[in-house]
Amino acid sequence: MGLFVLRRLGVMLLTAIALTFVVFFLTNLQPNLEKLARTEGSVRMSEEAVQDWIEQNGHSGSVFLRYGQWLGVVPGWTYTDEKGDTRGRCFQIGEDPATAPRYCGLLQGNWGYSTFFKAPVLDSLGEKLAATGWLMLAVMLVMVPTSLILGVLSGMREGSVTDRTLSTFSIASTATPEYVSGVVLVALFATAATGISPLLAEWGLIEPKKTLFLASATSAMDDITFWNFALPVMTIALYGIGYIARMTRASMTEVMTQQYIRTARLKGVPFRTVVMRHALRNALIAPFTVIMLQFPWLLNGVVIVESLFNYKGFGWTLVQAASNNDIPLLLACSVVAVVVVLLTQLISDIGYVFLNPRIRLA
Amino acid sequence: MKDMNHEGGLHSAATMYAAEYAEGKLSRREFLTRTTALGVSAAAAYGLIGLPAPAQAQEAKVGGTIRVAMEVKGTKDPRLADWPQIANVYRGWLEYLVQYNNDGTFEGRLLESWEANEDATQYTMKIRPGVTWNNGDAFTADDVVRNFARWTDGNVEGNAMASRFPGLVDEATKTLREGAVVKVDDSTVQLNLTASDIAVIANLSDYPAAVVHSSFKDGEDPAANPIGTGPYVPQEVSVGQKAILVRAPNHTWWGGTAPLDEIHYIDFGTDPAAMVALFSSDEVDANYESVGEFIDILDGMGLVKEELTTASTIVVRMNSSSDLYKDKAVRSAIQLAVDPKVVLELGYNNLGKTGENHHMFPIHPEYPELPPQTINPAGLMPALEAAGLKDTEFEVISLDDGWESATTAAVQAQLKDAGMNIKHTVMPGSTFWNDWQKYPFSSTTWNHRPLAVQNMSLAYTSTGSWNETSMANPEFDALMTQALSIADADKRRELAAKMGTILQEEGYIINPFSRSLFNHHKEGFTGLAQHPAFEHHHYKWSTV
Repeated sequence: MGLFVLRRLGVMLLTAIALTFVVFFLTNLQPNLEKLARTEGSVRMSEEAVQDWIEQNGHSGSVFLRYGQWLGVVPGWTYTDEKGDTRGRCFQIGEDPATAPRYCGLLQGNWGYSTFFKAPVLDSLGEKLAATGWLMLAVMLVMVPTSLILGVLSGMREGSVTDRTLSTFSIASTATPEYVSGVVLVALFATAATGISPLLAEWGLIEPKKTLFLASATSAMDDITFWNFALPVMTIALYGIGYIARMTRASMTEVMTQQYIRTARLKGVPFRTVVMRHALRNALIAPFTVIMLQFPWLLNGVVIVESLFNYKGFGWTLVQAASNNDIPLLLACSVVAVVVVLLTQLISDIGYVFLNPRIRLA
Repeated sequence: MKDMNHEGGLHSAATMYAAEYAEGKLSRREFLTRTTALGVSAAAAYGLIGLPAPAQAQEAKVGGTIRVAMEVKGTKDPRLADWPQIANVYRGWLEYLVQYNNDGTFEGRLLESWEANEDATQYTMKIRPGVTWNNGDAFTADDVVRNFARWTDGNVEGNAMASRFPGLVDEATKTLREGAVVKVDDSTVQLNLTASDIAVIANLSDYPAAVVHSSFKDGEDPAANPIGTGPYVPQEVSVGQKAILVRAPNHTWWGGTAPLDEIHYIDFGTDPAAMVALFSSDEVDANYESVGEFIDILDGMGLVKEELTTASTIVVRMNSSSDLYKDKAVRSAIQLAVDPKVVLELGYNNLGKTGENHHMFPIHPEYPELPPQTINPAGLMPALEAAGLKDTEFEVISLDDGWESATTAAVQAQLKDAGMNIKHTVMPGSTFWNDWQKYPFSSTTWNHRPLAVQNMSLAYTSTGSWNETSMANPEFDALMTQALSIADADKRRELAAKMGTILQEEGYIINPFSRSLFNHHKEGFTGLAQHPAFEHHHYKWSTV
């Protein structure tokens, strides 16, 4: 077991290095560096000024050496301009270069300086991850119980009216991508002109010209309320609900056809007890894996939903980092993504052992 | 009327302008722009034409917070600032020598007054007494001289101010010329220019010209160590999220008390549809700009609309470094195949005035009336055929934002109707601006500048830093050099007419309309009038 975990962590490290190098290489292509120069310097810079900027800000030379700087195995760049002012990777404008460390990469605990946020990557990303953490927590709290209940209800009597109705709902919701359901939900619940808000206003349930929910979750950054958080959470959860419910249903119907269930039924055990005592635990093994696999998938969902609802978390940060070619920030985002994906896999593997005693980790 | 002579302190041209105003040759706004640029105070200028100066607002109510929806971009060294939004944040604590007001006048802020000599080669500036930095230092002539050195430094990549003061720069070192800016005494600074320059005062009011403290390090983020003369300081600047300005502690602002306690800029992205939702869910009190069909929608929500007619415009321009547009006949045929009226209607809901393909508008003092161009879509295909481009597929590029894209689409549609094989490509801002000067055929938005020659010298002279057409017409360059030395707008108008004709004939630009600018705010706030350059004058804002 210990060895298994260690091996998995090793794989995680290798994947992280490989992925970050790919990201580093792509963000350091010449056109991307020119883009960075223009956003950082000035949009109106001339061609030569852009080349100068790239050279003077440590973006020239071998891509491997620069990657090494990021890792912290190659000394950070410095540049002294004609006025004698020195700038460099390891210190900020105004700090004394003599006292700055030579190496300042990941190994030294320095994740770099985000050119977009104008702040150290670690600080800004930490805050964004916390925001996304709240969003994911809320999604999980809504999604997991709802989908399990739906799945079990429709799976316990295959082919019944309940099954057909719930299956239709789950297929519809999982077939609707977030960027569609998000817009539909906003139109229904969060516009003063269409949807149900004008109706509610007419009936005097909400103030006129106000909406039932907020179409922007920006205020949730400071203070999460039902009004500003409901729509983003529902948008992500709807997709997952359908998917997990389908998985649970499949697993449940299979379990319900087993011999031991029939035996229990024939013994005269009430249906409710059969489902709760005998079927449920076995039926939950497959959905457990699926739920763990939903975490990486949620990372995907938050990119769309956070942009749509202006919620400034990890997904929004990833979009901003990519569109502004913020190299250190993108690299950090990749590391986070690798860790989230592989860590949830690890948890799902370990959790499997506890749910199913027939499986051992070698 | 004894005050109206030059000995009395008034520039001689000012009285001439007053006469022109009386004859109806000048509008009130043009009159104010020109006379105040010569150093006449706004009050005196109004007096010259027998109007009372607009009364200052009643003692504004102090207190309150406003939430404004605006993109929050990272603050950067002001001279590198490339968006008014950047400046609107540092405007809280950094001030300007001169301010351009939205009625067309120039108002001294850190300068108390200024005076130009007859041929605009020497300016004498009086510094406002009693101004202090928020760290307690006094604001002096040395600060002014030092900032001029920063602005004129052409060795800094992307320095937006570097090309603004050609008469102050040493060509060889690309820095401030020895003796160009002289401290006469602690409160007087003299500019000695090598050539006449009528745009000095206007340039000093532009958004990269914020005045910084001596402790400011070149290239530094001004919010990191916010020492300024203004009434506010930044409490937080989170890029892409929000910026909060609060009253500067322990600082006596020379202008008295700025009414609002706090100003919150919140970034909700650039989708104009989001603005409707934000106002209806009470998440903002005011916006940066209202555009297109959303103006009507926001009106319908009971918000207060602020409107301003400007010289802000869009230029759909060709670039002759591309083989397709090398031929003047081709460019002209393309230009004349597009009817500005149609573009204004389809692209901008008629929320502006049609343009004349020379980037000058009636609001500009030197605006010349040229004979109207004849729109001739039928002439397009013969011209393309003659150049062997009949079957070539053309492409016109634009930003993906609402009206820029719609305007470009309207241009494309008309060219298509005239028989041209042309497609329209839209790009997001992050990609579009990388190559904005290099696209063969694309649209660019141009902000309002007080004098027509300012835009034209930046965009269409062969040495202009924002030349996006590759136009290099020696006659135009020569006329521009001459025009930039003539303070008298009537005389300059003759040159402007010639330059406008050249621009039209060269055919590089389709300049379909000038825009009216709008913004909206809730009732309960006042002083948030839209500004031609989107400047936010925070001290004018208050609750009612």
